[in-house]
Amino acid sequence: MIATPVGTDSQLVIAPMLIVLAAATATLLLGRYPRARAAVSLAGGIAYAAAVAAIDWYIVLAPDAPGIATYQVGGWPAPFGITLVADGLSAFMLTMVAILGVASLVFSTRHLPGGEERSYYFPLFHFLALGVTGAFLTGDLFNLFVWFEVMLMASYVFVAYSGGPEHTRAAFWYVTLNLVGSAVFLLGVGGIYATTGTLNMADLAQRLAEPAAYGLEPAPVVGLFALLLSVFALKAGLVPFQFWIPSAYRAAPPQVTALLAGATKKVGIYAIIRLTFTVFAGAAVGVDLSLPGVTIAGDSPLPFIGAALFIMATASILVGGIGAVGRDSLEGVFAYSSIGQVGFIAMPVAIATTATAPGLRKLAIVAALVYALNHTLAKGLLFLSVGTVRSATGTSRFADLGGLAMRSPPLAISVFVASLALVGIPPLSGFFGKFLVFDAAARARAGPVLVVLLVGSLLTIAYTTRAWNRSFWGAQTDAVETASIDPVQVAVLAVLAATIVAVGVGFEPVYEFAEIAADAAVDTEGYVDAVAPQEASDLIDSSANGGDH
Amino acid sequence: MTAVVLAATIGALFALGTFLLLQRDLIRVVWGLAIISQAANVYLLAMGGIAPAVADSVPILAGHGGGAPQTADPVVQALVLTAIVIGFGMTAFALVLSYRVYEEHGTLDVTELGDRR
Repeated sequence: MIATPVGTDSQLVIAPMLIVLAAATATLLLGRYPRARAAVSLAGGIAYAAAVAAIDWYIVLAPDAPGIATYQVGGWPAPFGITLVADGLSAFMLTMVAILGVASLVFSTRHLPGGEERSYYFPLFHFLALGVTGAFLTGDLFNLFVWFEVMLMASYVFVAYSGGPEHTRAAFWYVTLNLVGSAVFLLGVGGIYATTGTLNMADLAQRLAEPAAYGLEPAPVVGLFALLLSVFALKAGLVPFQFWIPSAYRAAPPQVTALLAGATKKVGIYAIIRLTFTVFAGAAVGVDLSLPGVTIAGDSPLPFIGAALFIMATASILVGGIGAVGRDSLEGVFAYSSIGQVGFIAMPVAIATTATAPGLRKLAIVAALVYALNHTLAKGLLFLSVGTVRSATGTSRFADLGGLAMRSPPLAISVFVASLALVGIPPLSGFFGKFLVFDAAARARAGPVLVVLLVGSLLTIAYTTRAWNRSFWGAQTDAVETASIDPVQVAVLAVLAATIVAVGVGFEPVYEFAEIAADAAVDTEGYVDAVAPQEASDLIDSSANGGDH
Repeated sequence: MTAVVLAATIGALFALGTFLLLQRDLIRVVWGLAIISQAANVYLLAMGGIAPAVADSVPILAGHGGGAPQTADPVVQALVLTAIVIGFGMTAFALVLSYRVYEEHGTLDVTELGDRR
């Protein structure tokens, strides 16, 4: 199906989006045939993973791969049309989503919560994946907004999915917050368009690098980017934008929460990395900010962004860790833990923004990506295990659980592996994530950061131990004794646990992939060259056609 | 002049939307969301620039059959169109949700929906 070799302009880029869109439509049409629906859905998921694997190999990893490929939607040249771009960073993110997405789909074919709303489960699942995929692939700022909305719309319905007063309230909160977030996103996008005259990320990077050549006055861009940063932080769940997470994660079905924590959160992180390093890193915009005690000044907006990220990451690690210690249910612990873990991902990003040496910047981005991969695998597994426990015992509260380890050793081993990965025990994937984050912090000579990371790690040990003790050890409760645990679900968990071990043991290729992704993130020049935005005068066609969007 | 009026309008809309968003009644919250998203749309439209108010910038006065002057940036209009559609869908969904909140809780007062834990 795929012609080789792939050029820098390839239809392969749009393939994953088309596949999930087709799967979403097909499952919608098959609403009355549950078996066919599940089969088509699974086939769609596997085809999606195959398309992502093809992007990984033909565009990024193969010896003669171009490293970056674009697809100009509708044949409109950049920056007038929407450009889709697949480079190392996008491919790395897509790979994480594909692994977790397929696991969650297989899991979902075994047990779907709810009654008649089940017929909408799979279409929504694919629309969620579509939004995430689009956000990873788009090279246009407004298009990023649209994909965010696609993703959010599906997740709104999932949060309200199970019905019940609690869930509806959680959904209303979630919707309200994100609608305000969308309005703020529009403000940022509109302002950037008015300031720079473009929405194409490559064109934006080019114009910001030489504002004088384009006759721009780029100073407002820093503030507008801060607006965007707050929206991305809301999606990623960084403190102080974290308060929607616990209730929303508790309300959504666990197999979807796995995806919300593993994939949609990473969209926020991805957007921060992409815009900060690919678009704004080269911006020649002076920042002169003096607060009591701190003065941020320079020719680049990055230190300003870095300072904001440092504060948010530190607060996330502490709030998430402390919050997780006191929860009384499995998903409560894991939801708060997600807040803390995203802090661990944002911290190296913050280090990368302030790093002046290119080597350190790259190392820090690699650390963030490896940590993100570990979080997706481990937290995905843990939320799926909540689904298993809940469908087997009908509860996930610590008060009603105990002795699960004796009831189902394979389930217990999988959860144990994921918990150890969160803590960061070698040779699991989490060890390398944590090691690289600490390494980056140490090389940046950031003492306070090391202290925060250490405290966060200790808190991680505390809450994973507590969750394990309360639900897996001890005497079996009635709910656990009568539980019938689904073997296929446990098999999915075991495969994910094996993946965590495999990533840790065979870390070399994973590290290389992350390194390629980090290179792609900082390679503004390569990005601009691949997208090749044209001047309006190149296209003499009266005025610029507004045929996009 | 137009710019000042537009800026004042956008500011007033955002203020009103924020005020409504902070009310206890859920329907007012939905109104607040709708107004904030409309304010963002007006803002986007304003970002396209404002043509000077002279006869030459009005297409029907500027010339018949010939090239019409460009009065506004078409890109922002395309953006606003997309944003309006998305905002419409979201507002409808928020209204449905608030109805379900009313069905399940028997009240629309945010403070009476029970604690958030």
